Formats: sequence, structure tokens, C-alpha cells
Amino acid sequence: MRKKSALMGGIAALALAAPAFAEGEITIALNEELEVVEPCMASQSNIGRVILQNISETLTELDPTNGQLKPRLAESWSEVDADTWSFKLRPGVTFSDGTTLDGADIKHSMERAVSEALTCEIGAKFFGGMKITVDVKDDTTVEITSDPAQPILPLLMSTLTIVPAETPMEFVRSPVGTGPYVLAEWNAGQNIILTARDGYWGDAPQVTKATYVFRSDDAVRAAMVGAGEADIVPLINQNDATDAATDFSYPNSETTYLRVDNTIAPLNDIRIRKAMNLAIDRDAFLGTLIPADAIKAVAMVVPSTLGSNPDLTPWPFDPDQARALVAEAKADGVPVDTEVEMVCRIGNFPNVVEVCEALQQMFADVGLNVKLNMMEVAEWIQVYSKPFAEDRGPRMVMAMHDNNRGDPVFSMFFKYACEGLQSGLCDADLDKMIAEATAATGDARAEAWKPVFKRAHEDLVADVFLFHMVGFSRVSEKLDFVPTIATNSELQLSQIKFK
Amino acid sequence: MRKFLTRRAVASAVSLLVLIVMVFFLSRLTGDPTQLYLPVDASLEARENFRNLHGLNDPLIVQFGRYVGDLLTLDFGDSIRKSRPALDVVIEAFKWTLTLALITMVLVSFAAIVFGALAAFNVGGVFDRIATFFSLIGASAPDFWIAIVAIVLFSVNLGWLPTSGTGTLWHWILPIAVLFIRPFGLILQVVRGSMITALSSPYVKTARAKGVRPRPVIFVHALRNGMLPVITVIGDQAAGMLNGAVVVESIFGFPGVGKLMIDSILQRDFAVVLAAIMVTAFAIFLMNILIDIAYAVLDPRIRY
Repeated sequence: MRKKSALMGGIAALALAAPAFAEGEITIALNEELEVVEPCMASQSNIGRVILQNISETLTELDPTNGQLKPRLAESWSEVDADTWSFKLRPGVTFSDGTTLDGADIKHSMERAVSEALTCEIGAKFFGGMKITVDVKDDTTVEITSDPAQPILPLLMSTLTIVPAETPMEFVRSPVGTGPYVLAEWNAGQNIILTARDGYWGDAPQVTKATYVFRSDDAVRAAMVGAGEADIVPLINQNDATDAATDFSYPNSETTYLRVDNTIAPLNDIRIRKAMNLAIDRDAFLGTLIPADAIKAVAMVVPSTLGSNPDLTPWPFDPDQARALVAEAKADGVPVDTEVEMVCRIGNFPNVVEVCEALQQMFADVGLNVKLNMMEVAEWIQVYSKPFAEDRGPRMVMAMHDNNRGDPVFSMFFKYACEGLQSGLCDADLDKMIAEATAATGDARAEAWKPVFKRAHEDLVADVFLFHMVGFSRVSEKLDFVPTIATNSELQLSQIKFK
Repeated sequence: MRKFLTRRAVASAVSLLVLIVMVFFLSRLTGDPTQLYLPVDASLEARENFRNLHGLNDPLIVQFGRYVGDLLTLDFGDSIRKSRPALDVVIEAFKWTLTLALITMVLVSFAAIVFGALAAFNVGGVFDRIATFFSLIGASAPDFWIAIVAIVLFSVNLGWLPTSGTGTLWHWILPIAVLFIRPFGLILQVVRGSMITALSSPYVKTARAKGVRPRPVIFVHALRNGMLPVITVIGDQAAGMLNGAVVVESIFGFPGVGKLMIDSILQRDFAVVLAAIMVTAFAIFLMNILIDIAYAVLDPRIRY
């Protein structure tokens, strides 16, 4: 009897092991540990989910609901001339170290992001190939000049995290920002804890403490919400997303496609590229290997992006027409029997191996000789980005491109211009159209991008577009929070409410 | 003994040097970390700047000379990914692995020796059959499967234990239990086999004939002599754990050195890879010394 009681007591004690969360506290389970907690690296998904708009804020902010820019640390902005924009800073904003935000902080943040002394991802990703100068007019006014001119400079400022002018030119471990939270603890390998701070310029958030933990196993992360150990899991596997009450799918701004090398036979023949597009039964993937909520793609950017062309339609599944095009090309001497390498990346997205195998079979069904080559990420990058090998054969590379900034400029030059690092073609007309759209402003900008998408998709049939993907999140039922396209890159704690 | 230790230390140092050279050059053959560190859209200029900043444009032999030079001052270099001294990163992770391995191996060794010895005492008996059955299951069951099933059962369905993490003592129960199963099965079988041989020895028969009770016969007379092969297997299993229990660390979110090494290899974080290999190699060297000492303690015929 005594033994039985002891056993029951032990079980009761173990049951109490589950953590009890106080009011205002939440736990977020990320899929990998943060390597740094550095504001100028906040464009990396998980670093962004901790830092962006929680610890460090930006001058402007992209509203994911309507694609419009809204003020954050800048109250307003205006175009001074083609090269220069003036930003008026919000008065009375203080950093968590007590210092007041002023123009010198903006200047230092920009210089730090593009400094060669430390490789910041924000600098490399958003400000490469341009020279940016920040002129401090007074404490609350800065003029930012870019060379070449950047009509979307205010949008670019939604990516630049602002740090105090005293921040050293090296990665920091205790970031100081103007956001509603401060880094309270960073226990390497275990967790990161943010707590709400006094003196924030905006409304006080409901979440007062957020603990980020790191679990690389998909099933474990998903199980943590049910076990009461986590409240938000931004990324769960689609196979685990089985509970309608807690699991959300959201467009994650990623687009999957096959980048086709348009310069090498037989891929340099438009009939072959058309045949490849017609050979794919995209509907067969949806709800099977690809989540049912994914959208068939007609462009490199998601439909909510500025200038998306509503007149474009996905290529239909028409294997008979594809076979006819292949036969026609063969009759004209195109070497259609040449082996075409299709490179896919291991772990690129769930079921990537099966998707690539299915594509290979679909291409074979219309008479194309495609060989699948699964590559690890470092090897894959070498064939995806220039400089391409001189002695390469005909090749397609499956990639997943992310553009969550709302403007095609972050995609189209890289993917389609002659000098674009991942471009598989060189078309003078397309180059000219991209340059014009990049320089356009206002309403004309959206109109200028539409024909660019048409030229790539219909006129040149440059690539094989597949899907605009979705991600899956699990959110505790006690929270009032719905993931959006922004969840792929940030997780604003101040937007999370309790039911 | 001192002479023996010196000889072993010199031999281990030579092995370590060869290991450093091999790992340094082989890891460089896996590719350029620039491709993985910078965003895919980063310009060629940004990539060149990154390579210059981290000395990746220098000839390999120059990079190696610089590395060895730094090593002489115990500077293992900085982690490119974490922007911190590589040794700090590794030591942090190694503490978790060492603790996990130490607790698990103590429990495994104790349990396997007791159950293995008892099973050997009555070969073919009920206890022997049960112990053999479960030890074979344990030795052949895959870690990741046991871990996931344990989480679903004990954490999700019953709610008794945390799914993962490191916050409290309760967090250690499932990882240790999962790590326990496989070496327990293996070592139990070795103990059983070794003890069967020892128990059939003339000196044990003599002890029994003199009326010595079963417990002292097993645990005093036979076990000491039967332990030598067991110690070897325990050392082998412990070395495997010190290199990191990658599956368990990944599933249970334990920030150990195994997962760190895998991640660092995949991300081409060379300084961390080298530091991790050297720290674990040093730990295994120390463990082997302890095993040699254990041999001498158990068998008076062994002298160094």
C-alpha cells in the first residue's frame, strides 16, 4: 500500500513538471537556435522573429494586410529629388538604454549595415550595388540619398533596423533598440527571453514576457502546444497540421520554380520550354505533395506584390500539345534527346524529393530526357548563382524564392536581367523593361511591372513556375493571433493578444 | 605508471596533430562558407568582401599556418556563424553532452552489470530469458523511434514529463531513458557472456563447493574477473556518447556537441568543427587513460 502511494505521489509530482505560465507570458518554439541576436541580421527568418519590431524597429513598416507602407520610427517621408528622400523622425522615442533617437542613430545604423567590417545580411540583401548617404539635417530630420536613385527608398527603410549611434562596428550580444521589448536573457542553446520595457513610445503590449525555445524536430515542436509547453510554433510540418482549432496555413511569400538555362540546347528552344510547362499536372500536386492552399504561380512574386499581372494564367496540363511541340522541335533539328539535368535541393521544402521525382516522370511522359540530381545546399547554390560553369550542360534548377517586401524589384533583376545573379537568360527588351519599372514611381510603377511579368511568363517562357507556397503555424487556443505572410520573417509580440 | 601516462600522452598528441591536419584540409574541400553565409542575392562584391574579411582568399597553406600559429596560443579561432570564440561555443555544448553521457553511462553500467550477472547465474532460467529478450530489443531499437514514441506517450498523452528542453531535472528523464536503452542491451549481453565463462571457472566451482553463498560468488569472485571485456565495451559506448548523441540531442532540444558538430559541418563553420573535434578527442583520450587504470585495478596481473 505504501509503495503504491509512493508511486502515485511520484506520478503526481511528475505531472506537475509541466511549466505553468503567468499571465502575459508566452513561449514560442522556433525550428533552430539563433546564432546571433544582431539587429543587422534581422532579415534572417528566426532572428527577425525575435528582433524585428520587438527589440529593433525600422523607419517604415510594410503592412502585410494591404501592401502599403506605414510609419514606424519615421512619422512621415517625402521625395526631395529623384535621388533623395527626407524622413521626419517620431519625436520622444528612446532606446532601451535611455538615449533618445535622433538623426545620428539613423546615419550610424545605415553605415553599420553596409560596413565591410562586419557582414550584415540586411546590407548585403537590400543595399548591395548602391551607395547610400545619410545627411542629418537636425535631430528629427534625415535626408537619405542613393546612387543609383531608388524610387522605393522608403520601402527599403522598412528593412533597416535602427540601433544607437554608440553601437560598435561588430556584432553585439545585447542589442539595444527602440522597440517595446528588451533582451532579458540569452541562455545559449536553451532559450532567449524578451520582456516588455517601460518607456516605449507606443501602446503597452499585452504580452509582457516571451520565451523563445529551439526545437529542430518537427513533431516535437508541434507537440509542444498540446502539451502546454509552447503557445506559438511559427513553423510546423504540413503533415502535423491536423487540428483546425490551432493550425493555420498562411502564404509564406515563397515561390517554387524551375530556373531554366535558356542559353543551352535543347532548353534554348522556346517550344521545349513551353512543352515543359504543358507537361506538368500542377493540380495533381495540390493537396498531395504540396499543401492544398498553395497557389499555382505565374510569376516570381506572390499575387499581393505591387504590379502583379492579373491577366496571366498558369500553363494548362496538356501532355498531347507538349509531345507535339517536342516532335516539332525534333523535326527542326533541336537535340531533344539530350539529357537535361534537373537540380533539386535536399530539404528545400517538405516532399521536395517526391515533387522532383514526379516532375521528372512528367517530363519523360512528353518525350524529354531529364535526369534528377539532388544536391546539398552549398553545392546547389553554386549551380543556382553565377558565375555559371563554362562547360555546363543543359540544366534546370529548382529553387524557392522569397519576396515578402511587396515590390518586384527585389526579385526581377536578380532572376531575369542579363546581369542578374540567378538569371538563366539574357533578353535586351526584358532588361530595358526591368530598368524602366525599377525607376518608375507612384501608380506608374505598378503598371510598369505588369508587362515585365508577361514577357517572362508568356513571351519568353523563361522558366517553369510551380507554386506560391504556404507555411503552417500552430497557435494555442488561448491566444488571439492569426499568422500572416509576415510570419515568415517576423513575429511582432505587440500584435499578440490573449482571449 | 608515470612512464605509461607519458607514453600515452605523446601518442595521443601525435594522433591529435594528424587529426588536426586531416580535418583542416578535408573540411576546406567541402566548399566555401561564403555561399551559405550570405543571402543568395548578395553581390559578387559582397562575397569577395566576406572572403577577405575571413581570410578565405588566402592560399590554404597560409590559412593552415595561421590556424596552427593561433592554436599555439590556445586561440581556436572565431565561429563565423556565431561571431564568438569557437572554443567557448564548443565548451558550452560539451558540458551538456558530458553530463548527459556521464549520468547515462553510470546508470547503464550499474544496471547492465547487475542484471547481466544475475542472468548468467542461472543460464536458461526465467530471469535469463526475460533479460536476454529485453536486452536484444534494446540493442536493436532505433533511438529516434523510441524518442518520438516516448514523447507522444509520456508527454503528450499522459502529460507526465516535458516533451523536450533543459529547464528542470524532469527534462533529463526522457533523454537519459532513450540513451540508456541501446547500450544497456549491448553491455548486458557482454556481461552475461563474460560471467558465464567466469562462473564456470575452477576457482568459482571451488568457492561454491566450500559453501560460499551465491551473492558473494557472483559479485565478488566471478564479477571481478569477468569485468575486463565489459570495461572495454563500456568505454566504447561512452566514447560514442561523448562524440554527441545527435539524434537524442536533436529531438529533445539538448544543446550538445553532437548537434553542434553536425550543424557546423553543414554550415562550413570550420573553426567550430575543429574545436569540437579536438575537445572530444581530448576527452576520449582522458577516458581511455581511466579505462587503462581500471584494467590494472581489476586485474593485478596488469602492470604499466
